[in-house]
Amino acid sequence: MRNLIMLLLVLTSIAAPLAIAAGSKIDISSPMDGAKLDVMEQNKLEYNITPGSDGDHIHVYMDGKETALLRQLKGSHTLESLAPGNHEICIKIVNKNHTPIGVERCIKVTAE
Amino acid sequence: MDWQNTAYAATQIVHNFGAVAVVGGAVCALAWREATVQRRLSWIVLAGWATQAVSGATFGAISYYYYAKFPDIHGIAVAALIVKMACAAFGFTFAAWQLFAHPSAASSRHTWLVLCVLGALALSSAAVLRWFS
Repeated sequence: MRNLIMLLLVLTSIAAPLAIAAGSKIDISSPMDGAKLDVMEQNKLEYNITPGSDGDHIHVYMDGKETALLRQLKGSHTLESLAPGNHEICIKIVNKNHTPIGVERCIKVTAE
Repeated sequence: MDWQNTAYAATQIVHNFGAVAVVGGAVCALAWREATVQRRLSWIVLAGWATQAVSGATFGAISYYYYAKFPDIHGIAVAALIVKMACAAFGFTFAAWQLFAHPSAASSRHTWLVLCVLGALALSSAAVLRWFS
């Protein structure tokens, strides 16, 4: 029984660090989720980040590939030229060691 | 107490002192040619490269412990990390060779020069890794 309690304590101490990143938030004001973008236009990603206690900066991903590292927590970022079709744009809050802290926001857009 | 940042900071301190050892040790060895001094410096540089490798891996381990993920790095940063890891592997090997292979004076001097270059390259790659991740 004592061993079982010890095992539970150890497992709890291992699992506890995974439940953090409170107070972090990502708002993407443009483009809106589901928006149609003109491939000929220069499209901008407008965002507002609350990093929380663990976050430091953000990484931007286009279709799963990292395209930018942004240290400005509120602003806009010019998106790379989009090929026609559906795309997923994601922002992940990362810590000082560039590790995603588990807070991300993704939108889907269609480039025409 | 913020244990996560404390862990990163403690690891960074160890990593920085490792960097001082590998570069400083190799530069000092080029200036001081006495055998006993060179042998001590070889140990310092060997320990420095081992410290660099272990503390570098610890950065990733801390990230994994807290978030179950490794740092998300791409492109230039990955190249810089590979260069750092290669420098650590070659640096450790050459420092061990200095210690245990008993090279001639000329070979020893060439090896110290290589160790200087490896140290400088690893330091430069660290800066690229830090800001281009």
